[in-house]
Amino acid sequence: MSLKTVENTTSYRSASSSPWSWSITRRLTFLYTLSALGMLVISAVFLYWVLVSNLEREDNQFLAAKIQVLRVILRERPDKQEALEEEVKWEGASFQFAKYYARILDEEGRTQIETPGMDNILVSSLFPAPISFIQTPEKGTKWRSNDGRPYLLMAAWAGLGHSRGNQRLVQVALNVSHENALIAEYRRKLAVVLSLGILFSAAVGVAVARKGMRPLEEITKTAQRITVTQLHERITPARWPRELAALATAFDDMLNRLEDSFTRLSQFSADLAHELRTPINNLMGEAEVALSRTRAPNEYRQVLESSLEEYARLSRMVESLLFLARAESTETRIERSLFNGRKEMEAVREFYDALAEEQGVEVICQGNAPLRADQILFRQALSNLLSNALQYTPRSGKIILSIKQTEDEFVEVAVSDTGFGIDPEHLPKLFDRFYRVDPARSRKTSGTGLGLAIVRSIMKLHGGSVAIQSEPAKGTIVSLRFPPTGLSLTSKMTEL
Amino acid sequence: MRILIVEDEKKTAGYLKKGLSESGFVVDVVEQGEDGLHHARTGDYDLIILDVMLPKQDGWSVLTEMRRSGEQTPVLFVTARDSIQDRVKGLELGADDYLVKPFAFSELLARVRSILRRGPARQPETLRIADLEIDLLRHKATRAGKRLDLTPKEFALLSLLVRRAGEVLSRTLIAEQVWDMNFDSDTNVVDVSVRRLRSKVDDPFTKKLIHTVRGMGYVLEDR
Repeated sequence: MSLKTVENTTSYRSASSSPWSWSITRRLTFLYTLSALGMLVISAVFLYWVLVSNLEREDNQFLAAKIQVLRVILRERPDKQEALEEEVKWEGASFQFAKYYARILDEEGRTQIETPGMDNILVSSLFPAPISFIQTPEKGTKWRSNDGRPYLLMAAWAGLGHSRGNQRLVQVALNVSHENALIAEYRRKLAVVLSLGILFSAAVGVAVARKGMRPLEEITKTAQRITVTQLHERITPARWPRELAALATAFDDMLNRLEDSFTRLSQFSADLAHELRTPINNLMGEAEVALSRTRAPNEYRQVLESSLEEYARLSRMVESLLFLARAESTETRIERSLFNGRKEMEAVREFYDALAEEQGVEVICQGNAPLRADQILFRQALSNLLSNALQYTPRSGKIILSIKQTEDEFVEVAVSDTGFGIDPEHLPKLFDRFYRVDPARSRKTSGTGLGLAIVRSIMKLHGGSVAIQSEPAKGTIVSLRFPPTGLSLTSKMTEL
Repeated sequence: MRILIVEDEKKTAGYLKKGLSESGFVVDVVEQGEDGLHHARTGDYDLIILDVMLPKQDGWSVLTEMRRSGEQTPVLFVTARDSIQDRVKGLELGADDYLVKPFAFSELLARVRSILRRGPARQPETLRIADLEIDLLRHKATRAGKRLDLTPKEFALLSLLVRRAGEVLSRTLIAEQVWDMNFDSDTNVVDVSVRRLRSKVDDPFTKKLIHTVRGMGYVLEDR
């Protein structure tokens, strides 16, 4: 048993280290980090987009405003060169970061006035097609100079004075390289924030997952503490979070069943040893005494005959135990056939006729029903029950064998007697192997103490059940329930 | 009648040989499957008792080879394996009977005799042992000319004992043959039935025909 436990833990470990089966902590951390990363990226992208579009909008508004200013100057004061010069030549220089350029051209495309140095960078042909003087400028064109500086360009016609006909072309440009630098800087910071965020959320994820998984680890530790000698340990569902409580309950139930089977098993081994001890002791003793001195042939014969009886008893016991062991293996199948239940009942009754008559007990058969079962096993079950009933029914008692089909189509076979009855305390254990109501009686009866265990096994094999009711001094009723006859022929053994 | 025993367990082989020899058979024992095969082919045996679990060549293959080479000597399998599949396999391979250890020697003897009796043996209508006579057709039994008043099962029991007179019949065998109860029962039902039969067949007469063989069963014979 302990060896098995070791095997189990090693297989559990090797399973968890295989590449495709991450630990739950790892999975949780991974998913947690992934979702945190997702949120961070989404918000960063959004903020970035807001920043960029805001900057662009401001630039466009700035240039549009400049165009409007120049239009106003050109319209209102077409002759006043100073104002124009002020606006075109010197305005651009006043900005600290973004360099602003402006140029006024006449209708033939000759430069009238421009911001100094503009000609070197931004020739007039670079500018987009101008909008007409009644249109409001909105969006400029982006352009990148040879040295990599980005510019925003805008062009518009402006009326010269109030007279119709004369127009001037206004070209304005803004060096936006500073803004690009700002955006790049922002991007860098975002990246740093993002990576820090990932690290942080991963760390938090690990911590959260570990904390979440702690009960599981503790449950595992508790489970590992349970060994054969400490089968009574329980995980106690109340201590655990709701998700694990179900597991703990299931585990505890399993332990209950295990402990129960284990107790039964060790009880069985003890009983078996005890049952074997008596006949073996008889055999050894008789043989030793017989050999201790020379005897008459008749005495030897008696010893041998006595041994033969013990051997027969042992052999029957082995036979019965083998039957029980086989019945418990799920592979066992039984050979069902359809037969008349009453007829089989009568056959068994006939077998016991002589014995019943001798004991002054009346045996009666009642009812009838067709039955699909293993004929030999059916007879054996009935025979064991009748034999028991005869053993515990006093003279002038009555035993009734009855068979009937119940409303749910089960076939119920009952053996009821007017015997001594059995105390309620014994009833639950009556079908255990070697269980005896009165240990002192065990050797007096010829039974092996396996009769009722065999009955239960037979019923299990049929997918049916056995029940017992008893009232001391009044009698006992044992009833066998066979499942409906329409059952498939090769139905395997099912749990009782 | 010659019987060959193929059995590697010395104690088993020993008591089988002793028991069968004392029952009037000529018995040879070999321990290995190959020797068994050789003996079966060369010796003129009426029956082979074959253990399934043998060293090297097991009983199954000995039987298979025997039957393949046309050797039709009846075979009785003796084994500790008793699953239904094993039984079926044995019989399918051409064994004549199958006996599971532990078995009563009387049971073995009965089976051996039964196998050797097989064939065109005709059932006589009446059987007679000493002054007991039974008429199998009319279901009538008389002793010393007096009609015995028997129930049908008592008659069945008596005719079984008479038909196999001189053979010790175990309780299990009797329960099987008379009541068709094909399982071991712990009860003393058979004892009671035999006792009641005796009260009708033997008690009124000085000469007893039905004898108890303690630890084994019952035998009917004219001692």
